[in-house]
Amino acid sequence: MIQLSELTKDYGTTIAVNKLNLRVAAGEIYGFIGPNGAGKTTTIRMMGGILAPTSGTVQIGGINMGTHPVECKKMIGFIPDRPFLYEKLTGMEFLKFSADLYNVDRNVFQQKAVLLLKQFALLNWADELIEAYSHGMKQRLIIASALLHDPQVLIIDEPMVGLDPEAVHMVKDILKDLASRQTTIFVSTHTLSIAEDLCHRIGLIHRGNLLAEGSLDELKNIAKLGEARLEEVFLTIIKENAFI
Amino acid sequence: MNTIIALLKPRIRSAMNNLRRGNKKNYWSRILMFGSLGLFFWIGIFIIFYRVLSYFQSVQDFGDILAIKLLSMIVITFFVLLLFSNIVNCLAHLYLSQDLNLLHSLPVTSEDIFWSRWTISTFDSSWMIVAFSLPVFLSYGLIYKATPTYYIIFLTAMISMCVITSALSGIAVLFGAKVLPAGRLRTILIILGVILVISLIFALRLTRPEQLVNPDRFASVVLYLNSMQTPNSVLLPSTWITDSMIAALKNESRTCWINISLTLTFGLTLIFVNSILSQRFYYTGFSKSQTTPRRLFSPLRYKGFNWENLITFLPRESQAFAVKEVRTFFRDSSQWPQLFLMAALIVIYIYNFSVLPIQNMPIKTIYLQNILSFLNIGLVAAVLSAISARFVFPAVSMEGEAFWIILAAPVRIKTFLWIKFFLYYIPLVFLAEVLVISSNYLLGVSSFMMMLSMMTTFFLVPSIVGLALGIGTVYADFKSENPANTVTGFGCLLFMILSFALVAIVIILEAGPVYQIFMADLRGQHLSLLSICWAIISFGMAFFLCVLATLYPIHLGKNHLTIK
Repeated sequence: MIQLSELTKDYGTTIAVNKLNLRVAAGEIYGFIGPNGAGKTTTIRMMGGILAPTSGTVQIGGINMGTHPVECKKMIGFIPDRPFLYEKLTGMEFLKFSADLYNVDRNVFQQKAVLLLKQFALLNWADELIEAYSHGMKQRLIIASALLHDPQVLIIDEPMVGLDPEAVHMVKDILKDLASRQTTIFVSTHTLSIAEDLCHRIGLIHRGNLLAEGSLDELKNIAKLGEARLEEVFLTIIKENAFI
Repeated sequence: MNTIIALLKPRIRSAMNNLRRGNKKNYWSRILMFGSLGLFFWIGIFIIFYRVLSYFQSVQDFGDILAIKLLSMIVITFFVLLLFSNIVNCLAHLYLSQDLNLLHSLPVTSEDIFWSRWTISTFDSSWMIVAFSLPVFLSYGLIYKATPTYYIIFLTAMISMCVITSALSGIAVLFGAKVLPAGRLRTILIILGVILVISLIFALRLTRPEQLVNPDRFASVVLYLNSMQTPNSVLLPSTWITDSMIAALKNESRTCWINISLTLTFGLTLIFVNSILSQRFYYTGFSKSQTTPRRLFSPLRYKGFNWENLITFLPRESQAFAVKEVRTFFRDSSQWPQLFLMAALIVIYIYNFSVLPIQNMPIKTIYLQNILSFLNIGLVAAVLSAISARFVFPAVSMEGEAFWIILAAPVRIKTFLWIKFFLYYIPLVFLAEVLVISSNYLLGVSSFMMMLSMMTTFFLVPSIVGLALGIGTVYADFKSENPANTVTGFGCLLFMILSFALVAIVIILEAGPVYQIFMADLRGQHLSLLSICWAIISFGMAFFLCVLATLYPIHLGKNHLTIK
């Protein structure tokens, strides 16, 4: 469902992403982990069509993002790490705006929006301006709006930033449920426990290079660790590849 | 004191870093450009005042009274301007800046934060007024052949005036923020300020100052002279400042020192009062400002009427953008003052035409009416350029950090820009046509001139909007705390220059053929083949320029925004 081929982003002074190749199948939850400045957000932004790659391609559902961005974006639900929204709209108005852009059926919008707002504990705030929302509430609203058009692919940068434990639990459940219904989920995160709990496969990126990829067990093998947590696997692989 | 200096350092260092070599934003070229423009205005102000004061000097007795009255008016104007600008800046710096949370988490007292912020606010509010007061007071010094004491007194008085207005603003804001959340307070203050300014504009315009030059209007010259000499209240700091300067000009040292001492000690007393009040009220006020106030106005509902139903004919995504744009625009209280001012200026614009004494002019009326109507096209276009600079130019920057929503959405940048274009073009073309038709109606112009004005305006407005939107997109700043501030940047200056140049070229291109057609019509003659060719080429070129100015900047903007 997602295919990155030789994806490169060169900022002139830094190569943020270097010839990245990866595939994510439908219904799979792919965790993208790495230290600060590894190239996670740059990759995510290229996948979301917010940033153009220097070279290489992003394909979503077999469609090239570079040549058919609108068609690709229709399939994607994009959730950035920082919840910047139109502060002068209410939560419900923002959902309506998103629904119009993604062409959500007008007859089902109201019902769907109420359901999502209820699910994300925002229904009582639906008619308040977003400027009055807390950081976590804004993040929940973005997730709700990303799910509004039933995307085939969810691209999420740091999904749990600013969320309380209850919301974290709820979002995890929602993501698992979506994956079970064949939605492809690409999650970039620092929080290794989330990647461990949630992801079918994990890719480890460092200084723009994909160092290792596979299920948790496969990564343990690569790191030559037996019964270890992802944190130890992560540290071992990063240490071994410190020369990159 | 060391803490206050340390708190001021980030601001000083940021300013210095902007001037570093290799800075991508190239501040040196901006400084050079704005510096030259500032110097141009500075010299202009000096020449105007020097000439006016020289003229006053040539009028015996009355001239001196006029010069002193003018000085008093200038000081009061500066005082009021400083007071208003200080209140707005104090609120922003003390309660609304994004970095205040960080500052309040530091191990420093809230008084130290208050003083560092108050200093920055005083500087920001005052430097421009002080800089542009220099040519005014310099011309007074030169005309009155003042001694060096005058210049020392003038500088001391100006600095004291800045301190007094800033300290008074500090007190007002400290009390205000104690009672109301700072965000709400700013909205109310801005609305009150704008009402005050609009009332002043109306009061000034409705008195029809142009009639003051007619001596027949005065019942008695003596009464007038007496009213000019009426002293201002001795309890006002602006009176002390004016009196100290006048006394310095006239070498009356005793009066001068008494007034300047009053000014200085009053400034110091206010600082002391600020110090006490900031200890008691600043932190509680800041704490209150952290809560989001409820909406000032609730949405209007009338029998289930929904204005969104009026635009259902638009494609769905255009409808979504239109609704979002209108809502965010009208809910942003910082936009309201501009709207009020715009409405007031439009009323005055039309009123000015209604009071033109065309019938009393010695020149043939029909000729004059039509010349005025033709020049009116340029004037309306200039007004439209100013409005576009304020509203259309920052339209893309107003998306702010939320611009990712547009980039991630299945909408082409080109579509996004064209939707923005039409959202501003439709109300502006309507406004421009209303201005042109109503002023032409008041002038009583010929139907040819009415048609020409309407058509030219119809084609000039999209080019002005296109220029504003395109250049505004190229110079968009999505990270600014206040995107409306892009109006004061280099890009907006470039837009204004290009827009005025476009309007001037279109007017020049049309002037020749219009004169030929008008005169032929007046004389009842037919146009020659040469005149017809000239008219076709000129109007064709004007049309081509308008189309180019509409399309090309938006194309440039699209290329600039397209993901890289």
